[in-house]
Amino acid sequence: MPAASDPPTADSREATLWRLLRIAWSYRSDCLQLLGLQLVVVFLTVAVIALAGVGIDFVRHCTDRAIPAPPLPFFVPADATDKAVFVWLGAGILVAALLRAIISYVFGLVSVRFLHGRIVVNLRSQVFAKLQQLSFRFFDSNASGSIINRVTSDAHAIRLFIEGVVLQLAIITITLVACSVYMLRTDWRLTLACLSVLPFQIWFAIRFSRKVRPAYEENRELMDRMVLGFSENVQGIQVVKGFALEPRVMGRFAGWSEDIRLQKRKVFGEIALFWPVIDGLNRLSMAILIGYGGWMVARGEIALGTGLVAFAGLLQQFSAQVTTLASVVDNAQVSLAGAKRIFEILDTDPGVATEPGAASPGRFLGRVTFENVSFEYQENATVLHALSFVAEPGQRIAIAGATGAGKSALLSLIPRFYDPRSGRVTLDGHDIRALPLPELRRQVGMVFQENFLFSNTIAANIAFGHPDATQERIERAARIAGAHAFIMALPEGYETFLGEGGVNLSGGQRQRIAIARALLLEPTVLLLDDPTSAIDPETEKEIMEAMEAAMVGRTTFIVAHRLSTLRRADQILVLEHGKLVQVGTHAQLMAQDGHYRRAILVQSEGVVA
Amino acid sequence: MSKSSLEIAVRRIRPDEEEPDRLPLRWSTVARLFAFTSPHRLQRNTLLGLCIFRAMALPGLAWLVGVIINGPVTTGDGAATLRALALFTAFFIVADVALYWRIRLAHQIGENVLRDLRDKLMAHLLTQPLSFFHARRHGSLISRMISDIEAMRNGIQNNFFISFVSFGQMACAAALMLLANPQLFLVLLAIVPCLLLVHGFFRGKILHASRVQQETFSRVTSALAETVQGIRVTQGFAREDTNAGIFTRLVRSLADNVVKTASLTSLYLPLLELNAQGFMAALIGVGGWAALSGTGTSLGDLVTFFFLADLFFSPITIIGTQLSEATLAMAGAERYFRLLDTPPAWTDKPTAGECPALKGHVEFRNIHFAYIPDRPVLHGISFVAQPGQVVALVGHTGSGKSTIIGLLAKFQLPLAGQVLVDGHDLADIRQETLRRQMGFVFQQNFLFAGTIAENVKSPRPDATDEEIRQAFRDLDCLDLIEDLPAGIHTPCSEKGRGLSMGQQQLVAFARALLANPRILVLDEATSAVDTLTEARLQVALARLMKGRTCFVVAHRLSTIRRADCVIVLDEGRIVERGTHEELLALQGAYAGLHRDFLSSTT
Repeated sequence: MPAASDPPTADSREATLWRLLRIAWSYRSDCLQLLGLQLVVVFLTVAVIALAGVGIDFVRHCTDRAIPAPPLPFFVPADATDKAVFVWLGAGILVAALLRAIISYVFGLVSVRFLHGRIVVNLRSQVFAKLQQLSFRFFDSNASGSIINRVTSDAHAIRLFIEGVVLQLAIITITLVACSVYMLRTDWRLTLACLSVLPFQIWFAIRFSRKVRPAYEENRELMDRMVLGFSENVQGIQVVKGFALEPRVMGRFAGWSEDIRLQKRKVFGEIALFWPVIDGLNRLSMAILIGYGGWMVARGEIALGTGLVAFAGLLQQFSAQVTTLASVVDNAQVSLAGAKRIFEILDTDPGVATEPGAASPGRFLGRVTFENVSFEYQENATVLHALSFVAEPGQRIAIAGATGAGKSALLSLIPRFYDPRSGRVTLDGHDIRALPLPELRRQVGMVFQENFLFSNTIAANIAFGHPDATQERIERAARIAGAHAFIMALPEGYETFLGEGGVNLSGGQRQRIAIARALLLEPTVLLLDDPTSAIDPETEKEIMEAMEAAMVGRTTFIVAHRLSTLRRADQILVLEHGKLVQVGTHAQLMAQDGHYRRAILVQSEGVVA
Repeated sequence: MSKSSLEIAVRRIRPDEEEPDRLPLRWSTVARLFAFTSPHRLQRNTLLGLCIFRAMALPGLAWLVGVIINGPVTTGDGAATLRALALFTAFFIVADVALYWRIRLAHQIGENVLRDLRDKLMAHLLTQPLSFFHARRHGSLISRMISDIEAMRNGIQNNFFISFVSFGQMACAAALMLLANPQLFLVLLAIVPCLLLVHGFFRGKILHASRVQQETFSRVTSALAETVQGIRVTQGFAREDTNAGIFTRLVRSLADNVVKTASLTSLYLPLLELNAQGFMAALIGVGGWAALSGTGTSLGDLVTFFFLADLFFSPITIIGTQLSEATLAMAGAERYFRLLDTPPAWTDKPTAGECPALKGHVEFRNIHFAYIPDRPVLHGISFVAQPGQVVALVGHTGSGKSTIIGLLAKFQLPLAGQVLVDGHDLADIRQETLRRQMGFVFQQNFLFAGTIAENVKSPRPDATDEEIRQAFRDLDCLDLIEDLPAGIHTPCSEKGRGLSMGQQQLVAFARALLANPRILVLDEATSAVDTLTEARLQVALARLMKGRTCFVVAHRLSTIRRADCVIVLDEGRIVERGTHEELLALQGAYAGLHRDFLSSTT
């Protein structure tokens, strides 16, 4: 998967654009429906202006009979008196305006249902479902903030493209055409004269958004730097204060803050130029209209109301649409960038997936073998080298080794969080890649170093892997994990809400809930990835008891440093730089002059003496 | 249970978000925010002048169009038309230049004020004692600094000045219409109550709907954040389908709320426009009638009103948007000021002076302390540490070990009693001058983004690379650091990811060593890194501690054995003190702790 920071090449931009257009095309009937409504709205807008023009002309006719009466619209009765004509015209405008309001309302409703109710919902759900299937490699290489952004903001990309680019362009065109048709029917020379500024406005709007957007991107980077710096200093406040770094921290922060201001200053000229230029060009076309049109009115070539005044009204409508061009260009850029990131996720190969033809063999015993397994997180940085060993059902396997030796990597291969580069892992003789993934993972219970509990009730957290579990089953798991007593001591027991706004548990209590969560599924294989490392020694004793109970009758893999755990293991796998250097029981390994014995001696010297 | 707990996950609102994100305008807050523009007075006053000019120029231009059409155009005077157009052109160019500066100055002021707001908050935060940061979620401070200040930007840069221009424009347009034809103006007045009615009916509803929408959105985000953070658990327990179901429901309910808000606005905006067009209908109906009835209404008045009406009606939607945005800015400003107004729980006495060069003698004299009133944590702690001695603090969690360290570093002030260094009361010493002579190694050693070298030299920014290497050499672990890809210039990356626990510890040791403190404070990490690294760390630590007065919150027997004095704490009291051997011989509290240690590590 390409890194998110890759600059988009022209090629990939074009591919993204085509893909977006194809998606937009698949929604063509919805789009056409919206455009149909918009066409009526534009028509009614023109009608209101035209009717007002007729009114002005008719006043002029009544005060000066030398001026011919304007052709009256169809709904004014032929025998209406002069005064009645005005009432009819007023009523006509009112009806047109009412209709316009109703149809605008319908347009608003239909468009939001379509754009937000369907497109955004579909895309978000799709992206979310895909995200959950992606292998850990994806989560390792992307910051969680950027992943969250993809589902929240980038999921709007396709909506933005359809709404802000496709539909908006169509609406601009419809408005231009409708206004032009009215104007051309009146006089083509005046129309051309008035519209002569239009190309300049279009050019300027496009140029503006091309120039300003990169500056905004640059500004976002500066903002990010400031946010990162600020958040670091808050998190590390103890270090800041401990080393009396306040003046330096303040100085650096003020520097970032000032950089943002200075960078913005550079674009102010551009930003401030946009509206005056667009507005000036609008007024220029008004001046042309009055000069040239006024001359035509004087010569009797066009009428004052339906000609000059209506033109002026239409030009206002026009310019309102033209200014949105800048945002269309902007939307196009934003939606292309967003869509690219979204497509990237949707196209990412999940990495680990159930293979076709995978079948469940039924009940498992828990015999795990590694056959010549090599593994790497990133290419050319091998983490495990040709590992082979057998764990018999119910055995307790301790994994020892220095940080970075590959202990966690070994564990993560068993539930297929990653697949090995070569070799195979088997469960009861089946290559785990031939087992349905959910089935496999339900067979493997996991307790991590730091266990993530969700903002939900304790019961829901324990039943995480099996949301329909009965209360009885939840309590049984909690009892084995030694969590039942403290849960019952909480005011709301199992219904106590955890996390932000809920009860905050101690490290030991969280670990025990995590153990209960793993036990609820009655796994045949249990993985304990150094679950006591984030806990102080007193709490550790409580956890050890819970773990002992949990291990009974399951094939258990445990990453451990403590002598007490190592002594009780049926097998100890000693890893060094990803290689299996020693295998055996504590007694056997202590009898060999090797890495294990040295490490144990150092430990007893340094800690226990 | 399953159904109901899923419901909870869907309905639950994060408590932090329960604070309203919109607030009605409160003038004291507006005034306070406005006061931030005072340092940029000249720009601001120029801007206000430009706003007044724009408010008059826009109706003026429209009126001029009417005058030209009614005058030279109707009479067919070509030369006069051209002259008038030249005037019109000159006028609109001036108006657009004014617009340019109006926008430019508004942005500049906004950006200046934002920088001031940020710096002021940062400076304020840095004066707060440590307890302030422990009492708050890190995310909430970031929201103040980023989102709330960003919300205020709109208030300063747009809401105020644009509303100002819009109101002025409406008033001037109304005045010109009144001047042109009072009768037709009455028609306009008749429309105004309809406008107010529409506005009043929808405003509250739209605000409420968009707030509900915002809440749903933050639920979507937090559900998402949890999923991403807990992805290992989700995949490990094969829960993807259930989660996807919950998420789709959340996204749907968000969409429903978006539709609800949109259906209100898509009724509101057309109704406002309907008012403008209703006015047009009345203008033609009533105006035309009146013109024929000879009541003084002329054709020219109709034309003038045609152009001015738009200037009266179009600001209404603009003002509506600005006001609703202003409520966002208001909520941001209120939260921001509340934080800015939180005084530090305590500060150094104004008479406090520099800390003299220390030898390292430390004395606690009958210290009492409580974080919460009536819940004392320390009761009458007294002890003396001679320069160069190692004092180990031992006891259960909550016995007061960390509190003693906090008092020694003047992170907290004692309720009663004195802490003395070289005989000087800490109360009379400024915090930062004291800490410059102290060194700290914490349990979780926070490393800043940057290289190892940058982190090590943070207490002494002028240190050379050679001095940094020397520090590692003094710790006897330069080889471990030079083994890294870029040696001392290896990046630590965010939260020190990339370096192992042991390497992070070494960096923290070197950082403390470079500060060359007289008093060293050490909170030992609870969990062992792997045993071989551990041995190297022990050596480095011994080097670091040499020749300094050291206070250690001890978790390791090896450290305790090395201590000149072990202080055993229980519930805020010193229950035993002496050397390791002396205390073992007592067969008391320490001997009990020792047994626990042994059983958990062997």
